[in-house]
Amino acid sequence: MLRLLVLSVCVAATVATNTLVLVDTLATRETHSIFLKSLQERGHEVSVKAADDPSLQLSRYGEYLYQNLVILAPGVEEFGGALSVETIVEFVDGGGNVLVAGSRDAADLIRELVTEVGVEMDEEGAAVIDHLHYDANDDGQHTLIAAPSSGLIESDVMVGPSDGTPILYRGTGLITDAENPLVLPVLRAPSTSYCYNPTQAITDYPHATGQNMLLVAALQARNNARVVVSGSLEFFSDAFIMASVQTPQGSFHERSGNGKVVEALSRWVFKEEGVLRVVSIDHHLEGEKHPPAAYTIKQDVEYKIKVERLVAGSWKPFNTTDLQMEFVRIDPFVRVTMIPNSEGVFSVTFKVPDVYGVYQFKVEYNRVGFTRLFNTTQVSVRPFTHLEYERFIECAYPYYASAISMMVGVFFFSLVFLHHKDPAPKSKAE
Amino acid sequence: MRYKMSSTTLIGVVRNFLDEYMRTTPKKLKMVDAYLGYVLMTGILQFVYCCLVGTFPFNSFLSGFICTVGCFVLGVSLRLQANPQNRHQFVGVSPERGFADFVFAHIILHLVTVNFIG
Repeated sequence: MLRLLVLSVCVAATVATNTLVLVDTLATRETHSIFLKSLQERGHEVSVKAADDPSLQLSRYGEYLYQNLVILAPGVEEFGGALSVETIVEFVDGGGNVLVAGSRDAADLIRELVTEVGVEMDEEGAAVIDHLHYDANDDGQHTLIAAPSSGLIESDVMVGPSDGTPILYRGTGLITDAENPLVLPVLRAPSTSYCYNPTQAITDYPHATGQNMLLVAALQARNNARVVVSGSLEFFSDAFIMASVQTPQGSFHERSGNGKVVEALSRWVFKEEGVLRVVSIDHHLEGEKHPPAAYTIKQDVEYKIKVERLVAGSWKPFNTTDLQMEFVRIDPFVRVTMIPNSEGVFSVTFKVPDVYGVYQFKVEYNRVGFTRLFNTTQVSVRPFTHLEYERFIECAYPYYASAISMMVGVFFFSLVFLHHKDPAPKSKAE
Repeated sequence: MRYKMSSTTLIGVVRNFLDEYMRTTPKKLKMVDAYLGYVLMTGILQFVYCCLVGTFPFNSFLSGFICTVGCFVLGVSLRLQANPQNRHQFVGVSPERGFADFVFAHIILHLVTVNFIG
């Protein structure tokens, strides 16, 4: 099963991935050409279709036709063909990756879809407004946000190395549940921003304000499927990628940060970046080559795990200094950090605890931006056999002496007891 | 005054008891008593040693200590059977038979001890 999975991942990595792009109007193909072209250049078979195309389908005969789905159609009222929110959620459950872009006027369908992945879009008509972080090209409503790059998540894998260029954004704000560990804040709104309808007077407190509001959110589901939600369709557009940014504070940038962020984020969401896999596991007694039927308590055991990372379409050795191994019997009895080598093999030698039972070697590696690495191997640990206990312990010598003296004592006592003739009858006779 | 009286009586009781013991107890039983005293001392010594050093080879301590306890119990049993005053309680059990039981039980006790002492 595992081998099959590894094989299928290998195949997916080498064979072109199929990506379905859904758009409101085919004009989106022109307005987002840089984004779509970069997908094609990276080996995606991109098919662009109208979101209400009646021939749409994600799977045929139980097999998914696409690995990735891009929804650049905030205005769609109802998907065409076999597509619906349920089938898209099933698609994610089946391991498919989804990128969704919304807007101020996103239809209920898109709102419903993003709610399924733990993200909530603000009310219809509401836009992110910031009177301090807007671009000079703004129309006066301050809805063209130049979000500082400090709002980006600290993960080079997801958004690439930060270069301090502001990111242009125009759209609605996103709210996520901070308790949800699967949802990641890719781009936080500036602290001075809020989300409200710019044409209306503010009568009640905005739903989303400041750093609690997200502009781009990501979900890495438990099956490692990835979903990215942006509240702005224009975030991915050629216009924003090519635009220059001038902030009211006076700093000027030739190009916005959108190009790099969109490139990195689309690599991440389509599993071209931050993908790890376990290649092999090996455990044995120190100095031996093969695992025994069962380990004995207090033995020295060597554990090795080979981990690879997908880099530019091929698997390369993974290197990190914080990969840990746990030796678990309900609770972890041992937790040690493993030492990597240049071939991606992490190894550690440790002493089996003085408690016998059924244990697992457990490697669990959850880092922001990377797929979850989880691997367990079950082994049994038995107590010493009768012969394996330590003998002739020095501090037990008094006990040995006592036991021997008891034996000798009984022997001599028996001799004396048997050979003794009580003189009592004699005295009685007298 | 009263304390003095009681102490004198206590001393009197002990002296009386010792006199009686020396006079009436058969020599064979005295030998058993000496053996029991030796076993008792060995047991106490081991216990004190264990308190001082700790229980590390716990199986060794247990077998050493319980061996002395067992020897003591067997010795007391032998004394009961060898005592001519108890003859009517052990009808049909000759002193030889009692001694054979004693030896047999000891063989088993020491086998177990050696097996467990580590």
